[in-house]
Amino acid sequence: MILLEVFLNGLILGGMYALIALGLNLQYGVARMLNLSYGEFFMAGAFGAYFAITVYKINPMLSMFLSVPGAFALNWVVYRYLLVPLMRRASNQDILDADVVLVTFGLLFVFQGLALVNWGGEYRAYTHLAVPVKFLGADLPLNRLMAFLAACVLACGLFFFMRSTRAGAAMRAIAIDPIAAGLVGVNVVQLSAVAFAIGGAMVVVSGALVSTFISFDASIGVVYTLKALIVVIMGGVGRMMGALGAGLLLGVFESVGGYLVDPGLTLAINYGLFVLVLLIRPTGLFSRG
Amino acid sequence: MDRRTFVKGSAAVVGATTLPQRVYAQAAAPDKLRVGYAIALSGPFAPGAQSTSWSQYKLWQKTVNDAGGIMLKKYNKKVPIELIDYDDKSQPDELVRLVERLILNDKVDLVLGPWGTHMNLAVAPVVNKHEYPVIFTTAAAAGLYDLAPKWPYAFWSLVQPNEATAPLAEIVADLKKDGKVKGRVATIFSQLQLGVELHTAFLAACKKHNLEVTYSKGYPAGVSDLQPLLREAMATDPDGFFAFSYPPDTFMVTEQAKIVGFSPSIWYTAIGTPFPGFKGKFGDNVNGVLLYGGVDAGAPGIKEYYAAHKAMFNRDSEAGAVGVYGCLQVVQQAIESVGEIDRKKIRDAMASNSFKTVWGDIKFKDQRNENPWAVGQWQNGEVVGIYPKGKSGARPFVFPKPKWTA
Repeated sequence: MILLEVFLNGLILGGMYALIALGLNLQYGVARMLNLSYGEFFMAGAFGAYFAITVYKINPMLSMFLSVPGAFALNWVVYRYLLVPLMRRASNQDILDADVVLVTFGLLFVFQGLALVNWGGEYRAYTHLAVPVKFLGADLPLNRLMAFLAACVLACGLFFFMRSTRAGAAMRAIAIDPIAAGLVGVNVVQLSAVAFAIGGAMVVVSGALVSTFISFDASIGVVYTLKALIVVIMGGVGRMMGALGAGLLLGVFESVGGYLVDPGLTLAINYGLFVLVLLIRPTGLFSRG
Repeated sequence: MDRRTFVKGSAAVVGATTLPQRVYAQAAAPDKLRVGYAIALSGPFAPGAQSTSWSQYKLWQKTVNDAGGIMLKKYNKKVPIELIDYDDKSQPDELVRLVERLILNDKVDLVLGPWGTHMNLAVAPVVNKHEYPVIFTTAAAAGLYDLAPKWPYAFWSLVQPNEATAPLAEIVADLKKDGKVKGRVATIFSQLQLGVELHTAFLAACKKHNLEVTYSKGYPAGVSDLQPLLREAMATDPDGFFAFSYPPDTFMVTEQAKIVGFSPSIWYTAIGTPFPGFKGKFGDNVNGVLLYGGVDAGAPGIKEYYAAHKAMFNRDSEAGAVGVYGCLQVVQQAIESVGEIDRKKIRDAMASNSFKTVWGDIKFKDQRNENPWAVGQWQNGEVVGIYPKGKSGARPFVFPKPKWTA
């Protein structure tokens, strides 16, 4: 009986991992920018939700009405005015990658510093939907369940967007080969900017949802950038269902493995799985390549 | 005479007339007390360092300077504090480099400690070598029982693992003697240094008191889900649950225990429990929760301290920060009793005097705080110290902890 609950909780935990990774998948997979300041937007989303419930006494999820457009706009600006000039300057992809990593690494400190100065460094937490939901006899926390459902909805939504819309098809083309995509008439810079901005908007959503069940602080961002990166690489860069699959797999392995072997090994199991995937399928579990 | 030699010459004249006076003035009385420190203003330790230590340094400076400064009776003069701060970026090597720079280049009068056990341990031999007395306010490690006597200039104010956990076993053993509980305890611990050391010391204390440990498992730092552990611990039906946790897991384990309805009558979580955010998140559910450390809610000056803290940072203080501030008062009282900036004398005053602070009475023995707060408890929405029992300001332990409510 406990094992079933552990499994279900693992699935839900995996949903959280997937949720965090979806935005980075767009930024890294489609726009081809490894954005190290990604997690700072997660942190901003968490703070938005926190201030909504503690200061304005409203449902923390309502903060997304402000934070999602804000993050979309800011990410668009970052892409358009910080990253595009790098793209124009770089003579090849390797130089561009190095430049992007350096610039976004700097941005990480700018955003983190702004948060520290304005909001202080202490731990923040609030209670929202911390109630159990009975499912097959197991107690599932509603706030974690929400993050899981959001991950499924967003991953499927993105999947169908990429599959069945014109813009989505163009984004897939960019993901596969940006130069060829440009040659067949896709506006690569414009669409990449949109993909990058949607990615930033999605991580704010994940920050708001995840903040309902974790404590956080102004310097939490980098932790979530790393988590997201692992999921994205495991699932296959640019593959939306891949991120969902990899996230769920990590969650279940972590929970069930921790339960059956030793809880102290949960992280070892996760990274072990990651290394194994890199060895066997370096392009990701769900990649075509 | 061209213009350049004229300028040089007049500069020399001005220099010659002012320099001896300045030297004389310095020998007479310093115009300020220069206090330096390197602490994590960025990196993973920044949240802890800023809320527990850095903020207290700033508040101490403001409070002392608003009152005119520190009294140096040798010169019968009050001197203000000047803080020189560096960011150690949460890196021990950077920290050591910066503290040496403070001592050798900046030639500060005194040095304050960084944040976090291993950061403190990294810098203790350095300040000891240069004979700068420092009270380390955020370090707890079993190794200090051996190390503290070897470093005469390094002082340690926090409760150490044995003293922090012995009262916990005692609480359960006493209740068992009175027939109120069966004496069964479950424990989980963070696999970070302090979590492991507290847990090890706790198991030894349980053994001494013949308590039955029904569950004992560690979890890694950065754990995402503690529900499986709670389920297993819950299945063993313990009277007491003890989590030797760090802040993120302290919050997580409390929320998940509420969700699965695991509510034994004795409940302990370690680091992070006294934080204002903990009460902010859990409201009245905090009452009855036991924690690492403590404060004397009636200590002299604590009301004024709380008010000044709130006014400066617009948030409440917490037990750990009160401890840091109390040790800054020790530094101040030690300097004022010596009456001049003589680090050897200040060190001796720290080592032998007893001090009255917002954190209660402080006295060091072999450079370790003789009687620090070991166990506290949330009572009526505030943190109070309950162990060591005889310590002035200790409140009685409240049993049982009320059940979690929604």
